[in-house]
Amino acid sequence: MAQVTRREFLKVTGATLAGSSIALLGFTPEPAIAEVREFKLARATETRNTCPYCAVACGIVMYSLGDKAKNAKASIFHIEGDADHPVNRGTLCPKGASLIDFIHSPSRLQHPEYRPPGSSEWQAISWDDALDRIARLMKADRDANFVAKTADGLTVNRWLTTGMLAASASSNEVGYLTHKVMRSLGVLAFDNQARV
Amino acid sequence: MQRILEPGQIEALASRSVPRLRLPDRSRVFAARAERLGALSRGHALQGYLELLATLAAAQHAALQSLEVTLPNESRRAAARHHGMPVIPALGEARSSAWRGVLDALRTAVAAGNYPPAVAAACERLATRSAEALDAQADRLLAVEVAVGDAAAAPLIMAALQVYWVAMAARLVADDVGVPESSGVCPVCGTLPVASIVRTGAPYAGYRYLHCALCATEWHRVRIECTQCSATTGVAYHSIEGGSAAIRAESCDSCHGYRKIFYQEHDPAVDAVADDVASIALDLLLTEAGFHRASGNPLLWQSPG
Repeated sequence: MAQVTRREFLKVTGATLAGSSIALLGFTPEPAIAEVREFKLARATETRNTCPYCAVACGIVMYSLGDKAKNAKASIFHIEGDADHPVNRGTLCPKGASLIDFIHSPSRLQHPEYRPPGSSEWQAISWDDALDRIARLMKADRDANFVAKTADGLTVNRWLTTGMLAASASSNEVGYLTHKVMRSLGVLAFDNQARV
Repeated sequence: MQRILEPGQIEALASRSVPRLRLPDRSRVFAARAERLGALSRGHALQGYLELLATLAAAQHAALQSLEVTLPNESRRAAARHHGMPVIPALGEARSSAWRGVLDALRTAVAAGNYPPAVAAACERLATRSAEALDAQADRLLAVEVAVGDAAAAPLIMAALQVYWVAMAARLVADDVGVPESSGVCPVCGTLPVASIVRTGAPYAGYRYLHCALCATEWHRVRIECTQCSATTGVAYHSIEGGSAAIRAESCDSCHGYRKIFYQEHDPAVDAVADDVASIALDLLLTEAGFHRASGNPLLWQSPG
């Protein structure tokens, strides 16, 4: 007999079932083997994430159908609290519990939009255009309003006319980076997860 | 499953810790399994085999109620606990001959049933084998050696060993059991799990427990993590289209292994050992998809070759 590895030994196929305790005890595994031809396998994933709403940062599990590996569009069909997560232990508030509708909402914003001054229409723009515009306006505002020294000559290097509200569901590292970027610009008015 | 918390519950929940163990209940383990196997067998492609296993589980329940076992003494238990080793290891320590008494009761119950002649023949072979030969095969089954010996008799031998270990495990309390370095094997007896179950009902709701193939102890394991190699990416859940939502195979793209995971939320009566055998179709499909089973079922043995 050829050397059979433990992995092969545990393998379940039509051939191995024909030599299993089912067959050896006088039962026929054939119907079970035959019916499999009628069956189709569905692949789903369960993905951990953090609720995007507030600074409590509850753990969630998102259930999706479809095989990302096979180029099919994955679709989330259910979201629930993550029982293993130490913050919320599987529970969610009413907003978190309705996250699935947030994802599939027909009015969900999926790209940056821009409404020019005086216009009542929003228009879609690219991320590059949006970020360029934000950077240009920030620079103009900072150049115009940056305070290097107070009237009595004290160095302060602050920029008080622009503020930033950062995301709530952020990691320590994102909190650190937010501080570094904003403080180095002189911004004092900002808030993020690191304060919680 | 969502619920609304009442005032006061938030504080109570915050101090709650995850129960790490579910030790077996000797009055229910095999009785519930027998009922489940009976229910699963009706109209099933493996009806005859599942009926045989239902008879076997009912005989296990009866044998367990009258079985007296002795736990290792307190100093041995303390040493096992201290080092995170199994309290009543499946291998490496002497077994009492009581398990062979259980085996006699099981084979008598099974041989009396209306089953194919091969069942009675396997029981007959067990009756005539020496104690040494039975112990030797028991050791090979517990060690999951490829050379299992008489594969037709293997489910009966394993069933007798289950009764013996459940009798001991049911007498433990959680504080007797140390925390092992690996959560891949049973903390009570060191055996590989047969499958995992996401439980419902306080205080276990939403937690996933691995179910020991031998002593029926269940231990907590974080979800969405490969139970064989601990990978947390590339874990996928396979089910049969149009089949039960309570039965999925948790596969891993890192080690290409899988174990079934049962969701009690979708089927309250689900039983790790019974439902694993009854969902053999999922095994056949996962094998075709290129995944291998991480560990076997104690009541279904294959002959190598």
